[in-house]
Amino acid sequence: MVRFLVGRVLQTVLSMLVVISIVFVLTRLSGNPIHLLLDVNATERDQEILTRYLGLDQPLPVQYAIYVKNLARGDLGQSILSRRPVAEHIWERLPATVELGFVAMFLSVLIGVPLGVYSAVRRGGIMDGAARVFAVLGQSMPTFWLGLMLILFFGVVLGVLPAGGRGGLEHLILPAFTLGYFTSAAILRLTRSAMLEVLGSDYIKFARLKGLHEQVVLWKHGLKNALLPVVTFAVMLFVQFLGGAVVTETVFAWPGLGRLILESITTRDYPIVQAGVLVLSALYLTGNLFVDVLYSYLNPRIRRAGA
Amino acid sequence: MSKHGAIKLSTLIITALLLAAALSASEAARPEGTLTVAVATFGNERWLPHLYVGAEDIVLKPLWENLVSRDPKTGELIPMLAERWQVTDGGRTWKFQLRKGVHFHDGRELTAEDVKFTFSSIAREGSANSLSTEFRLIKSMEIESRYAITIHFDKPSVVFANKVNQGLFASVAFIQSKSSIESAGEDGAERRPIGTGPWKFVEHVRGDRIVYEAVEGHWRATPNFKRLVMLKVPEPATRMAMLRAGSVDVIEIGGEYVDELKKVGVRTLTMPNVAWVYVILGGQWPTKPSYDRAVPWAQPDLERARKVRLALNLAVDKNAVMERVMGNLGSVTGSWLAYPNDPWTTDALKNPYPYDPARAKALLSEAGYPKGFDVTMNLTAWPGRGYLPDVGEAVATYWEKIGIRVKRRPVDRAVFAADFRARAYPGVTVAYASPVVGPELWDNLIRISHSKAAVQLFIEHPKLDDFLDRLATEPSYDKRVKIMRDEMGPWMYDYVPAVAIGAAHNIAAVGPKVGDWPLIPGHMGFHNWEYVTRKP
Repeated sequence: MVRFLVGRVLQTVLSMLVVISIVFVLTRLSGNPIHLLLDVNATERDQEILTRYLGLDQPLPVQYAIYVKNLARGDLGQSILSRRPVAEHIWERLPATVELGFVAMFLSVLIGVPLGVYSAVRRGGIMDGAARVFAVLGQSMPTFWLGLMLILFFGVVLGVLPAGGRGGLEHLILPAFTLGYFTSAAILRLTRSAMLEVLGSDYIKFARLKGLHEQVVLWKHGLKNALLPVVTFAVMLFVQFLGGAVVTETVFAWPGLGRLILESITTRDYPIVQAGVLVLSALYLTGNLFVDVLYSYLNPRIRRAGA
Repeated sequence: MSKHGAIKLSTLIITALLLAAALSASEAARPEGTLTVAVATFGNERWLPHLYVGAEDIVLKPLWENLVSRDPKTGELIPMLAERWQVTDGGRTWKFQLRKGVHFHDGRELTAEDVKFTFSSIAREGSANSLSTEFRLIKSMEIESRYAITIHFDKPSVVFANKVNQGLFASVAFIQSKSSIESAGEDGAERRPIGTGPWKFVEHVRGDRIVYEAVEGHWRATPNFKRLVMLKVPEPATRMAMLRAGSVDVIEIGGEYVDELKKVGVRTLTMPNVAWVYVILGGQWPTKPSYDRAVPWAQPDLERARKVRLALNLAVDKNAVMERVMGNLGSVTGSWLAYPNDPWTTDALKNPYPYDPARAKALLSEAGYPKGFDVTMNLTAWPGRGYLPDVGEAVATYWEKIGIRVKRRPVDRAVFAADFRARAYPGVTVAYASPVVGPELWDNLIRISHSKAAVQLFIEHPKLDDFLDRLATEPSYDKRVKIMRDEMGPWMYDYVPAVAIGAAHNIAAVGPKVGDWPLIPGHMGFHNWEYVTRKP
């Protein structure tokens, strides 16, 4: 197990190095931020001074070396736009993203798991059909459109929920549902197929033969085993939400990390883009690692196979 | 009751009534409630004078003030931080007498030192401020007394008051506190900016919100609202929904949403004649290294080039573009960068180039392009002018009908900004809207069209240079009007420098809380927040 962990950690670090290198190069290919920092009437001298101040006059390998050196010291650099530490910007936005991601994941599981179980148990019935339509709609409906429709209906027509921005719990409901609907559909389908597999197994038949109540068979014996892939999927979902919520954050004017990265790409604020991608990659790779460890811990067969 | 008793009683009653009236008046004067505004962008979100560009105008104006402003009714210059000013030596010397007793939000009094400090910051090397090139023309600044400063120029600066003017968009020479910035340091001053405006800084969350609080007893105007909250909401549909849901009270919105707003009964305020829309025909800079003589509208054969430019104008139904793309928020006119009510705009100049595709095709043939030619149309949006890519698309469609083959190219503004400076876009066309940055036509043109200007967003021509040089140094307003009306305007109309669409308006959509809001004519962004009244 220890060898497995060490190997995975090293793999994670290497992957992150590759990611930041690619992002470093790609951001610089996207254009020069000087043109957005200065007025169109700025002189060549103004451009020179600012370019030098930002260190953008250095050759690319030198800029890269400085960046990696600072990164090793835990310094994410300074924002080109604000000239404040990048870490400050990331910390400012991360809580909003974590909040949204967490609630979205919670809603996904809350909707997807019970519906998936019910759909598996009532396979072929009307409710199964309805649940599957729900799942197809969730996976095909554009987030952008869904978000705007929810704002229109709940925010404008009914006036019961805020139309945008971050605030109390009521501000979270619509963006979290918008973000979570797509994944609740995926969780529903995953739970349904896992449950169908489990419900057909011998130990479930035995549990029924023992005379156990059907609810105990389903929720205690059946779901516990069917949940394994769902839990690991949910963890990856959460990590995905952290970086992939940019459309939802834009529609709902939610001040999260995804929007920060998008705005930084538009304004060529390289250090924030690099740091944002680094943070998200780290979270994703760590999440992946955590899932692998969790899976091998929960599933004795994998532990024994790895031993 | 005795006579004495009656007098005593009357006095008591009158005193009580007067006291009640005074109390209710003071209650009515106290700011109350929150005015929430949703805008698409905060610009670069910087607070120091050498760090903000000018597009931040909308979020900076609550906090700061300029030396002068403009009357919302007449558009005339009025005092602001400067009580009075004097222009001498043909515009080479400007003396400003500051208002006494104006304080920054940290209690320090505004003095001439703050003015000198601010102007020096704007002019410094590496400054991002859009006014930096103009402020670098200042030869020297003399502090005559605690409240008086004299500014000297080498060459006449006949409209310097427009550069220090609250009533113009992107006129961002807001006076900042020298001692506050020096004691807090740049970082400290950026985190907690200090101004003299009717609103003081409370909070800035980058990319999300800026919060201000009313300054009660402000020397100029105590706001009617206690708090002013600006939210950054990039998506226009979300801004509209937030307004309709009551989450915000004011939104900036494009003309393309006007009909929808009317259908749902949302009130809109129009800011008329804030920008001039045209399609730039790139490459008209014959003295520059990047000049390409093969560009049809910029070729050395001036007559053929003019026929091409005229054909490109005649091919476009400008009324349809104004109506369908810009929601009828504007007026079609041929008076290049001049507005219908300007004193230098004559009826002849207002005449738009007609829509005549048949004549356009004939002109192309005469010019030697019977089968048309290839052209690129860049589709680029600018802050506050999100309709521009749609205008470009519409014009491209009309050109295709007369045989021109148009390649559309969505281009980010940052990328295109480099092209403006380098004159690196010969043969490329792009729809642009030039905002009013000075009340006189030449003041706008000199920044974007003089051969010595840092950027080129129109044309270069020695005759135009000559007009602009004369206007920049002519101290008499009446003479300047005459040059623009009788010489420059007709010349440009005949020359056909670009594809004219016309004057554009901006709108703001407001909620039920917003009462009266006096807006200054020609000012593109939102402003005068302190004068917005509350509806009960």
